[in-house]
Amino acid sequence: MTAAIEAVCLPMLFLTVALVGGLRIDDRVTFVPPPLFALILGVMLLGVLVRGRVLEPERFMSASRPALANLNGSTVIFSTFFAATQVFNLLAPYLLFNVFLFVLLVNTLAGFPDRISVLRSVGVITGSAFILKFVVLGAISDPGEGALKRILYVLLEGVTLGTLTQPPLHPIAGYLAFAALAMFLIGLAILSTRPRFEAGISTLIKLAE
Amino acid sequence: MRNGGGEIASGGVLMQDRSVRVFGLVLTLCYAAFIVWLYIRQPQTLAEVTGSLTATVGAYHVNQQAFEDAVALFHRDQLDAARAAFDRADPAQLDARTQFYIAYSYYRSGWGRVYQDDELFQKGIAHVDKAIALAPGHRLVVDDPEIYMHNADELRAELVQGLRVEASDFNPMRVFRRRK
Repeated sequence: MTAAIEAVCLPMLFLTVALVGGLRIDDRVTFVPPPLFALILGVMLLGVLVRGRVLEPERFMSASRPALANLNGSTVIFSTFFAATQVFNLLAPYLLFNVFLFVLLVNTLAGFPDRISVLRSVGVITGSAFILKFVVLGAISDPGEGALKRILYVLLEGVTLGTLTQPPLHPIAGYLAFAALAMFLIGLAILSTRPRFEAGISTLIKLAE
Repeated sequence: MRNGGGEIASGGVLMQDRSVRVFGLVLTLCYAAFIVWLYIRQPQTLAEVTGSLTATVGAYHVNQQAFEDAVALFHRDQLDAARAAFDRADPAQLDARTQFYIAYSYYRSGWGRVYQDDELFQKGIAHVDKAIALAPGHRLVVDDPEIYMHNADELRAELVQGLRVEASDFNPMRVFRRRK
């Protein structure tokens, strides 16, 4: 990984995700800090990334690296954590869904996933959460213009005691979330790239194990 | 000779590498600080963002010409026009006096002999709260002989009073009270 990617690209990318992840647009603009559960999920995702060798802490911080490089490495690790936290803040609509994500992450941690599996798994988890919140629930929760749709909306809200509906989303919210998610996944993909020599060595070690 | 050239080249690369790392670190710290600041201050518009940033370095000033125009419009009871001019004078909403006048204009717009406009009074409270928060020591007195309420706390109390529903609201003599 070049110095420019480590010191500039990755922290900028992840910090932008952290910024956009908390951005809520309705009649006014607000920046929502992550709830406690999102912090927990962020820590768990960081654990999954480390276990799956997507994020190798020793590549970013070690005694063999100069102090300045270690500082850059620490900004990458911290910004990855904050981005992960804000991605969960952005995507999880309910506490119940948070619990579901928690179980999914525990399940991933319990196994011994490789780098590609972890990247795929994170893509599937965040992608499905995005579709659920911004496409499915977004459509269900929009009362719309027609009288029939409004009546159906009220009925659905009554039957499900409001558990399936959420406040109507601003039209731009989905696009922002998509951009944040795409940046996060691109960041993770960059994070996990290694020079061919290193990758070959780690494959050999894995085969030997 | 070749070794010497190689050392110079590698020294140059190292130097460049170091510069990139320092630049990246400074940029990251500034960006992170900016994000934390956004989450704390919660600015609503781009004007508020730029205004707050310039205020941080002490370079924010109210547009005096727009402010004077706004006050003149306010005194002539052209309240919508006055608010537009006040917004132009203080786009970042960082001047206590301007926020006081905006709150006062909402009070006057919302005031009615029979009932008050709650929505306008709510907006008035939001602006007077901002004015109080911005004033040094949270005490704001506006020296303007053409207004009745000079103190921000007095204006806030009047706005809050207007939002309350009380038995005295049904007193028919209320229609003779005077707008402040």
